[in-house]
Amino acid sequence: MSDSTFELLFKFSPYIFQQGTFVLSAAWPSMLLAVVLLVGGLLAVLRYRKVGGKSRPVDRVLLASVRTLVLLILLLCLMQPALVVSTAVPQENFVGILIDDSQSMQIADRDELPRSEFVSQAFGAEGSELLEALSEDFNLRFFRFSDVLERVDGVESLTYAGHQTYLATALEGARQELASVPLSGLILVSDGADNALGGISDSVQSLRAASVPVFPVGLGVERFSRDIEISRVEVPRTVLAGSSVGVDVVIEHKGFGGAEIVLIVEDDNGIVSTQDVTLPRQGDSTVVKASFTAEEAGPRVFRVRIAPQEGEMVAQNNQRDVLVSVQDRADRILYYEGMPRHDVAFLRRALSEDHNLQLTVLQGTAENKFLRLDIVDEDELFGGFPRSREELYQYRGLILGNVQAHLLTSDQQRMVADFVSQRGGGLLMIGGHSSFAEGGYAGSPIAEVLPVVLSEVQLEDEATSPAYSAAEIQIQPTLFGMTHPVIQLADTLEESQERWRHLPPLTVINRIFSVKPGAVTLLTGTAETLPSPQIVLAHQRYGRGRALAFTPQDSWLWQMHHDIPLEDMTHETLWRQLLRWLVQDVPGQVELTTSRDRYAPEQPVRVTASVRDETYIELNDSQVTARVISPAGLEDELPMDWSLDADGEYLTQFTPLELGFYEIHVEARRNGDLLGLETSHIEVADLSSEHFDAEMRAPLLQRIAEETGGHFYTPETVSALPEDIGHSDGGTTVLEVMDLWDMPILFLSLVLLIGIEWVYRKLRGLA
Amino acid sequence: MKYSQLETTALATVCVLILATTAIGFAPGRRSSSSQPPQRLASPTLGPHFKTTSPDISSPSTLIPTAPIESAMAEVISSQQGLPQDFRPPVDFYSRGSRIRDRDGPRDFYFTRAIYSGYGYRRMGSWAIDFPKADRQFLWGLRRLTNINAYEAENAVRLTDPDLRSFPFLYALEVGRMALTDSEVEALRAYLLAGGFLMIDDFWGTYEWQNFEFEIRRVLPEHPIVEISLDHPLFSTFYTIEELVQVPSVRIARYGGVTWERDGYVPHVRGIFDDKGRLLVVINWNTDLGDAWEWAEDPYYPLPYSTFAYQLAVNTIIYALSH
Repeated sequence: MSDSTFELLFKFSPYIFQQGTFVLSAAWPSMLLAVVLLVGGLLAVLRYRKVGGKSRPVDRVLLASVRTLVLLILLLCLMQPALVVSTAVPQENFVGILIDDSQSMQIADRDELPRSEFVSQAFGAEGSELLEALSEDFNLRFFRFSDVLERVDGVESLTYAGHQTYLATALEGARQELASVPLSGLILVSDGADNALGGISDSVQSLRAASVPVFPVGLGVERFSRDIEISRVEVPRTVLAGSSVGVDVVIEHKGFGGAEIVLIVEDDNGIVSTQDVTLPRQGDSTVVKASFTAEEAGPRVFRVRIAPQEGEMVAQNNQRDVLVSVQDRADRILYYEGMPRHDVAFLRRALSEDHNLQLTVLQGTAENKFLRLDIVDEDELFGGFPRSREELYQYRGLILGNVQAHLLTSDQQRMVADFVSQRGGGLLMIGGHSSFAEGGYAGSPIAEVLPVVLSEVQLEDEATSPAYSAAEIQIQPTLFGMTHPVIQLADTLEESQERWRHLPPLTVINRIFSVKPGAVTLLTGTAETLPSPQIVLAHQRYGRGRALAFTPQDSWLWQMHHDIPLEDMTHETLWRQLLRWLVQDVPGQVELTTSRDRYAPEQPVRVTASVRDETYIELNDSQVTARVISPAGLEDELPMDWSLDADGEYLTQFTPLELGFYEIHVEARRNGDLLGLETSHIEVADLSSEHFDAEMRAPLLQRIAEETGGHFYTPETVSALPEDIGHSDGGTTVLEVMDLWDMPILFLSLVLLIGIEWVYRKLRGLA
Repeated sequence: MKYSQLETTALATVCVLILATTAIGFAPGRRSSSSQPPQRLASPTLGPHFKTTSPDISSPSTLIPTAPIESAMAEVISSQQGLPQDFRPPVDFYSRGSRIRDRDGPRDFYFTRAIYSGYGYRRMGSWAIDFPKADRQFLWGLRRLTNINAYEAENAVRLTDPDLRSFPFLYALEVGRMALTDSEVEALRAYLLAGGFLMIDDFWGTYEWQNFEFEIRRVLPEHPIVEISLDHPLFSTFYTIEELVQVPSVRIARYGGVTWERDGYVPHVRGIFDDKGRLLVVINWNTDLGDAWEWAEDPYYPLPYSTFAYQLAVNTIIYALSH
């Protein structure tokens, strides 16, 4: 039932009923009434028992019930029911009117009129009933708010240009501003599209404690009829220059099910990626995976957008900007190949022009004899595979090629597992005669880390079956892998899929048909001799790091095969992407994070550094400093202190004032020795998130009203606001008794009951 | 000559194994009495030029002379038909199909011999000199000296065979008689540019060089042929080779005399590199490594020659597999 209907039937609005106390104001004693009611009822029963007539027992029960109800209603009226409510003393109280001045108020979703139109009509127009009604009883104080609250004389000064909407800030500011005057309540005129990171609970609690009810007036529609919105973009904060960057784009859409749109990723130099997307007919949300290559080093802003569609409610929410810190560093990867095979040569060639990946090869050439390639100094890997954590942990990635498990001691195997789980490194095992189960890894610490389930020891009859022989498999991406950045072989998804369809088959020795729970399969392979698809490429997070399994043993065929054109870059592209992704998120000894990547001016930036020693044990006694360089080149050095909350965590904070990119360098030392240096960027810009999630958030506004003792209105119901606010508990009030005996609902009930009795008697012939 | 104890022992073991295997495979009744005296092992032209060391173990040692096994040597000389039957390639080597030839799947390495067009030489053409015994005996050594998972038998593939590109290492010899067809030129060029590696062996003198140069220019006209100096990683990937040895043909090696043929007095290792510095072709000119592998089991074949031939070839293969 709407508020207006309620008020029509019950004389007063629901809010007044909610605020008031129900009383019976008749002077008759209650006991006397009860006795009269009892005696009257008894007499009626006795009388009707003797008058049977043509009526059946059912008729008599029904008629008696109707007549009893009529009598009870009359009796209720005689008892003079009333509400006792607090009523504001006219012109003794103040009301704060808080008007949303943000950009979302310009959205024209109300009869094709902007939301701000209501403000103009209700609070700005000459002869506005609402304004007059409020002015009669209250002293009005106007405020405008977006990310800040500001006192204004009237609505004329509103510009609707605010970039943010912080409801909590506005409510708390108004409460404090009007704390010294009798305040009947606050009227919050807004769409409720709050952008603040923190909640509103604290603000609501303080309003409640101060007995300041809030009366929100919600503007806009709760659900757009036709709109497409990029609601979220997930992208790595840091990537190596030249990397393929995977982007997860969450698209919310209403009224565009089945529509074909184009998702565009662009930077300052133009479009870097496009992708055709068909919006699903079922559901309002879909996740689209796109990828692009981040070439130029430095802080880069990428814009993800969808061209505005015809009939869209809000066009500004079709794009989002993301900041990616493109780093031109060389990440070190150790490739341990147990024996000479072509993979080493082809992998080195694939990475030869990738300056951001530094592949060091340790290749066993004979028993206890190794070939070391691309070592930094003569001592590196002198004794073969690293025997200490310090030695192994200097690499960000580790590739195990055709290495028999027994070539690694149990300590080294445990160390490899810790390399992933504790150090956060990336581990990749490549298929071969001495890899996976065939290499004796089943049951080893390394097998725990791998994303695939290693096959059990084969029985004799299984060993001779074709299913356990080497097989040539045709490889295809899985549904998930199709859009994964590692798997993209071309600029568009379609071209990439086409490329995969035409790649020559590879051979597998290692039979791997299942992955562990939580692991993700990106590539599978099929062959007639295989009972089920072979897992070709899978990955999983393990501890702080990531483990990958690539089961074919001759990926170099994608470079050498006679079906592969000479200019084809499939092999190079795949391995570059795979290994860049392997080390992409691998932490260093010093990690630097900020809560966000883009800030508004004067918004505090909280910098967190995580510091570890060479074996990646957290350090609480290191000297950590942050050097912040502003866009204008001003440097500020900030000491960072241990947070006490977590081992190895150091904090500091600064407030950016300039627009542009801030560069943050964090340096950690212990006893004078450098532990690590990490760099990150933030962008300070006039951020506007006003057009995202811009539908009116009625639940939030209702919650504010309910928890503060106010009431929620829409433009259609706002006419009841002046009377309701006059009966709030806030401010200077007097108690008022309001009669209820003359409620229309009582009269209508009497007429209805008597009519029912009359019709029933006519139908049953009892009249 | 500097050898590590380990390497010398390994090489000697290989030779003994080859001898023993060959001896078992041949009929005892066909022994020849034309054995040569053991003193012919010491060729006067070898000693000062032959010097190799292991990259990891520097302790010098001396070569262990191979014990003469006259019967085995005689059988090898008398006939190439006596090859062990279990070494027969499982499929016709003229038309290789999948690299998967048994349930263990493809091996990590196939010693692939190029079948190319050329001036007639013997029944099978010049590409087949020393074939297949040299290939097999080299593979014995390769598998014994390194841990390369190599296919045990020879693997001869036509240059125009599409499967050629499934074998990134290619060996060709007697290229002085090479006369490539246009399709072979095209196929070899694609093979090398795609990532293949070609090892050339056993051609001598100016005339044969000019013939080979003419042919390889047709394949890779844009890349020059350059001398590979001894400080190149090719000479240190497995063994450290400090001096080039001219490996003569078996007849000269066995009977002594000058080591050169025609006007090929000085051995050379030359190469062709691409624009990125990748070595595409290694050219062993004025030397005959293949003969050294083929006759490694011969007690009258000088061990320094076969040792050098094995070492240079092992280095070349490991280099090709890692660079």
